[in-house]
Amino acid sequence: MSLQTPDETTRHPEDLLEKPCSRRSFLKGVSIAAAAGSAVLATGCVPSADAASSEELKLRWQEFFKKNYRLMSPEEKVETVKRIERLAKLQEDLNVQIGTEPPIEKVLYGYAFNITRCEGFMECVSACVKENNLDRKTNTQYIRIFEMEPGKLDPSTGDGQYYHEVPVENKFYMGTQCFHCENAPCTKACPTKATWREPDGIVVVDYNWCIGCRYCQAACPYYGRRFNWGKPEVPKEEVTQKQHYLGNRLRPKGKMEKCTFCIQRTRKGRLPACVEACPTGSRVFGNLLDPNSEIRYVLKHKKVFRMREELGTEPKFWYFID
Amino acid sequence: MKTIATHLIRKLPTIFVCLFALLISSTGPMEASERSFLDSVKESDEPFDNRSVSQVQPVVEKTVLAKEVDQTGSFRVLARKQEIERYKCSSCHTDKKVLVNYAQELTHANVVINHGREGSELSCIDCHHPEDRDFLEDKKGRKIDFDHSYQLCGQCHFRQKRDWLGGAHGKRVSYWAGERVVYNCASCHDPHSPKFEKRFPATYSVPLK
Repeated sequence: MSLQTPDETTRHPEDLLEKPCSRRSFLKGVSIAAAAGSAVLATGCVPSADAASSEELKLRWQEFFKKNYRLMSPEEKVETVKRIERLAKLQEDLNVQIGTEPPIEKVLYGYAFNITRCEGFMECVSACVKENNLDRKTNTQYIRIFEMEPGKLDPSTGDGQYYHEVPVENKFYMGTQCFHCENAPCTKACPTKATWREPDGIVVVDYNWCIGCRYCQAACPYYGRRFNWGKPEVPKEEVTQKQHYLGNRLRPKGKMEKCTFCIQRTRKGRLPACVEACPTGSRVFGNLLDPNSEIRYVLKHKKVFRMREELGTEPKFWYFID
Repeated sequence: MKTIATHLIRKLPTIFVCLFALLISSTGPMEASERSFLDSVKESDEPFDNRSVSQVQPVVEKTVLAKEVDQTGSFRVLARKQEIERYKCSSCHTDKKVLVNYAQELTHANVVINHGREGSELSCIDCHHPEDRDFLEDKKGRKIDFDHSYQLCGQCHFRQKRDWLGGAHGKRVSYWAGERVVYNCASCHDPHSPKFEKRFPATYSVPLK
């Protein structure tokens, strides 16, 4: 494919690309130059040595032409993460650290929710919003807590918008979020393969490959996915800086997002933010493949059920009663 | 002979159809739909080495080795004594006489017991050791350390204790991997009033659609 010798391409006036050798990278270089040129025309200024803006432009174009996360080599992952970190610094003056931790071997994450214990304090929801840099403007939340009538087990019959002193007598509380189905309908609906199930069972989204068509949202029977109509707004001092490429990094406008079991935490052995925040211990998280894990204890010794099990989606999220 | 051959040739499509149907019905799809991922989950009985997750840090809070065993063997619980404001109790509970002026401060007038059935709440010495104030005492008269209060609570709340040991009650501290460290009973429950108080939720939700 290489039509140019390295010499030819390094003679590029801006010298924007260090080691291009393919036709694809050559086109990339040309497009960067064109974009830079049009910017100059639009502002009508003499091209100054505005290092920051040309650097930003370069990074943005390199980002635009990158691969799907699943096709990237480890080196490419490191490169894209570096670019995103640098862009966050240039555009919003944020010092973020984005990880690309791979799945841990022999781990399959599972989650259980105790509907007897939950008292509806919603500490989990606010912890999730903070941890995952969710949009404060539209009050995006991955977790919903429903106040339920006794005997009902379908959250759609419950009250998801209560705001009064809890717990209320003769009610129980039921939380929903992404259930990380083994047989996830959302991943099948995606036309760009921007969402998939990781080997450790977490269903993730590559925000850069998502085109925002929302097919996955329509396919999810659990209302587990959220869409960004605008760019998520997070006060600068509240941004969680430890991030993951597939997790809580700052999303662009028009992208789909969802609970990732706090991938940035769980792949380092930590508990998801909701579990850590729960004041009643209603949330149990662990490795399904480990016979000694808490989640396996719950599955073995408690009465468990999953929501809409008959759909065959195989969620890895169980409800249990004491 | 010729007639038999032509007869067979004529029947060939039917034979193929029959064979195909047999293939479909006997193998593949049927088995796949009956086998859930849960079967493989239940079959995996090789314990996961929780210490193999390298990025796990030791828990920040003070912990003690539990005097009980769980499914993994030993585990740790959050220590309790450093959380008790006036511990060590024996620093006040001595033979020295107390001036009446200090009585309000020194007695435990702020403690309201809301533990046990209404009307027959527990009294102090149901749990606290009557002589050695630095310890608790169970119904068999054994001294129990404040750090190991689960031994005392478990006398009545044995179901909760069983689930706590297994992992269905209470929770781990910070990490799902690494050495198992769990919250103690009194880390979450006020032993004098163990039920959680009513309060407003931390946040609220807006409609999804």
